[in-house]
Amino acid sequence: MSATRIEHGVSRPAPVAIEVDGTPIDAFPGESLATALLAAGVRAFRRTASGAPRGPFCNMGVCFDCVVTVDGEREVRACAATVRAGMRVETGADGAG
Amino acid sequence: MEQAEVAVVGAGPAGLAAALLLARHGVDVVLVDEQARPGGQIYRQPPRTFAGAGLPPGRAYASGHALLEAVEGSAVRRRLRTLVWGLFEPEESETAQVNGSTPRPAWVLALADGEGLHRLAARHVLLAAGAYDLPVAFPGWTLPGVMAAGGVQAFVKSQKLLPGRRFVLAGAHPLLLLVADQLLAAGADVAAVALAQQRPAVVEALAAAARLRGRVAGLAGAAGPMLRLRRAGVPLLFSHLVAAAEGVEGLEAVRLRPVDAAWSPYAGTDVRIECDTLALGYGFVPSTELARQAGCAHAWRSAAGGWVTAHDAWLRASRAGISVAGELTGVAGAEQAVEEGRLAACGILGDLGRVDAAGAERLAAESRRRLRPLRRFSTLVQERFEPRREALAALARDDTIVCRCEEVTAGELRASLAGHPHLGDADAVKQLTRVGMGPCQGRFCQLTVIALAAEATGRTPAELGPFTARPPVKPVPLGRLADAAHPYPEEVDA
Amino acid sequence: MEHFDAVVVGGGLLGAASTYYLSRGGARVLLLEKGELNRQASGQNAGSLHFQLEYRMVELGDAIAEQFAVPMPLFLDAQRTWAGLEDELGEPAEVHLGGGLMVAETREEVAVLERKSALERRHGLDTEVITGDEARERAPYLSSAVLAACWCAAEGHANPRLAGPALAAAAVRHGAIVRTRSRVAGLARVGGRWRIAVRDGEPVEADVVVVAAGLWTGEVTAMADALLPIVPRALTMMATARAEPEIEHLVQHAGARLSLKQTQDGNILVGGGWPARLRRRGGVVDVEHRPALRYESITGSAAIAAHVVPSLRRQRVVRIWTGVVGVTPDQVPLLGELHGRPGLYVATGGAGFTLGPTLGRLLSELILTGRSSLPLADYDSVRYGHLIPV
Repeated sequence: MSATRIEHGVSRPAPVAIEVDGTPIDAFPGESLATALLAAGVRAFRRTASGAPRGPFCNMGVCFDCVVTVDGEREVRACAATVRAGMRVETGADGAG
Repeated sequence: MEQAEVAVVGAGPAGLAAALLLARHGVDVVLVDEQARPGGQIYRQPPRTFAGAGLPPGRAYASGHALLEAVEGSAVRRRLRTLVWGLFEPEESETAQVNGSTPRPAWVLALADGEGLHRLAARHVLLAAGAYDLPVAFPGWTLPGVMAAGGVQAFVKSQKLLPGRRFVLAGAHPLLLLVADQLLAAGADVAAVALAQQRPAVVEALAAAARLRGRVAGLAGAAGPMLRLRRAGVPLLFSHLVAAAEGVEGLEAVRLRPVDAAWSPYAGTDVRIECDTLALGYGFVPSTELARQAGCAHAWRSAAGGWVTAHDAWLRASRAGISVAGELTGVAGAEQAVEEGRLAACGILGDLGRVDAAGAERLAAESRRRLRPLRRFSTLVQERFEPRREALAALARDDTIVCRCEEVTAGELRASLAGHPHLGDADAVKQLTRVGMGPCQGRFCQLTVIALAAEATGRTPAELGPFTARPPVKPVPLGRLADAAHPYPEEVDA
Repeated sequence: MEHFDAVVVGGGLLGAASTYYLSRGGARVLLLEKGELNRQASGQNAGSLHFQLEYRMVELGDAIAEQFAVPMPLFLDAQRTWAGLEDELGEPAEVHLGGGLMVAETREEVAVLERKSALERRHGLDTEVITGDEARERAPYLSSAVLAACWCAAEGHANPRLAGPALAAAAVRHGAIVRTRSRVAGLARVGGRWRIAVRDGEPVEADVVVVAAGLWTGEVTAMADALLPIVPRALTMMATARAEPEIEHLVQHAGARLSLKQTQDGNILVGGGWPARLRRRGGVVDVEHRPALRYESITGSAAIAAHVVPSLRRQRVVRIWTGVVGVTPDQVPLLGELHGRPGLYVATGGAGFTLGPTLGRLLSELILTGRSSLPLADYDSVRYGHLIPV
């Protein structure tokens, strides 16, 4: 159903495990966190103050709709963050900080 | 404080070309970009860890390869993963001459990177920050799965990800056809491509563009994509605007509305297409935040992207010590950006005294010569594919969110405008309704707000002006600012 | 030529308030604003509704402190006025009077708070010095570095972006005419009335002129040959993106430049008097252009804010701006009919946001009835009479 990585013509390094909302998922070093989340089937990265789901929109670091919490740090733009082994990611943070 | 002779903000085609030329003439130049690798958006490189994945093949990106490699091997100092969050005028104490021969810096750049905040003093700044996709507010545009076409393209090209399963593309810019083509090539299910313009207008525009510049990257190559889309059986709808995105937790379907030559709906049925990803490509907005924050004059040129930085024949902006190149002067693509980068660099060499006036002219001659046909081409494209802003603003119903960050709807805006008839500029609307006060700082609502304000007040976008841009041009955590102070705040005399 | 009962010059908070109260009282009023309503200090300030004395007023010795305490009756009135303003106007202004805490970190600062509180209580303002622990009980967001605080239940904040426009909208409902982008170019006394020249517009006549032009007050009264000293102070403000509601109070400091608050939307506003750099043209201060930001003011302001409220460290600053306030040299308001200029009234002064509606109302009482509900002798322009030739 969801986003899929393109395999043709790409040779990725060995995957690493990151944790998303308590669940371990595979991700590839160097790719963006947004890529890893979309590929894992996550569509709603955050919630607005009124509870509406939001996901990546611009994918170039200017819209701030893709923000997630990474290793306790809030409001991290997933499209600008690079995957790292052992990263702990929390989605669904509400809009008021 | 770190010093440089020239700071180039933005490592896309314009910034790369400028930095390279400056470095080759012995100038101490620092190239700053927020991304991990140079290239900007159009030459956005895949991660280093992805072997075999460089820029896409073909002439379009060959010069990008060459430029990136040249800068890699040059003396250009690179500060990547670094945000320039403001341009400051140096304090008197910061301009004190060192042994009498070091000229004063014109600007101090406020930087933020993984380690914290830093400052960089430069005698000259070149702003080449590029552009971002034009936001269009319509019902459901904030649903997960609705993305900017440029964003979808970056996922495919540089992240090697298909960001969804079934795609609809809607827009008014021929780049949309390229993105559709790239999606197809990557094996995506492209359900439909909808362009706002009428078929004959698009076909004629592409033919005119091809006649002007047969070889240019991207644009004249639209014929190939159109053919491949047709062969793949992808419906290519003309005269259709996106009307709504439907879904609860994410995009489930898109409704496309038939429109006339002026992009106004007429009696006809919406086309409903199920999909999970919508790529919007209605145009681009030059990223002029730093230029505006520094007080440079701007002009309203709708076809060129809206607010563009005013400049002279050497691409110097109206404030001393600042030049601009690339999309900031008007959205025109990579090839023109490269030549503008070179031209601006030649002007800077003259300003730095590295060459005299005649020397600068000689150096710039080649770029000026190339720019003439490039500008004719980009002007044609701008005019033929100009976004019809009133028609796009009319897509916003009263319950449609206009300011994504603060969730301010078109209805709230219209009510405030009606209730306060004295509102005379974009800042006044922002002050009253809090649009533009979130983390995107107005990038994704400003133009819609101005269109709605123009409708309500009868004032033109030029009269309404953009939101005043202030530092930080992107959010900075307060803790970072705090840590950059002296150990405990001393009293500063007024 | 158009004739009005009153022309108000200046579309900030004080001008809008004057226009509102005059219109509500039945006068036919024209408000002239050179640019956009609420664009200058009224829209740029932090929105603090502060009644406690600033520490600088108290630091300089008792005699000087007494002087600064003179306008206390105005502050007491302001508290009542703000509390009822939204209901009166039928417009939102996000008035929140949840109390104010002026924090102290050192013994010296605590001593300042004690002297200040005693002085305030003598003048009718209820304030109380509480311990750091008591402060943290009320305000858990305060850091452990806080040794004591002066609590003032009456203080709080309102939204400066909404207050002025709310008054202007209410004034219009009472029949006032508002003209923006209308700069006053001249004031002349003609046949017992004031004739007001407007740049690129038609002149108008009025029985009464109210100059509530903030920083430009002196420039406007100079058109009537009255020189009033208004000193520009360029300040720095920061706003964060919206955050979880945590900061209930107006927070100030007894020894450092700090004022912070959290708005109804959740944004945290940080200010406190950090200087910005006034523009100069040809050596003279140019107030037509925004002051330049100073990096040290930004980092210094952030540092003290983060020091006092540590949870602020992770909030994202999305906006930093400068503004200029116009203050009288003694920071005491100017209010009343200009000495030697019958029918020409002035309204300006320190704490213009907090006192705006109060001063506007008192002035309208004076104009409409000849009397005001509070004594205004201390704010009379006669103290600058030597600058106003007859």
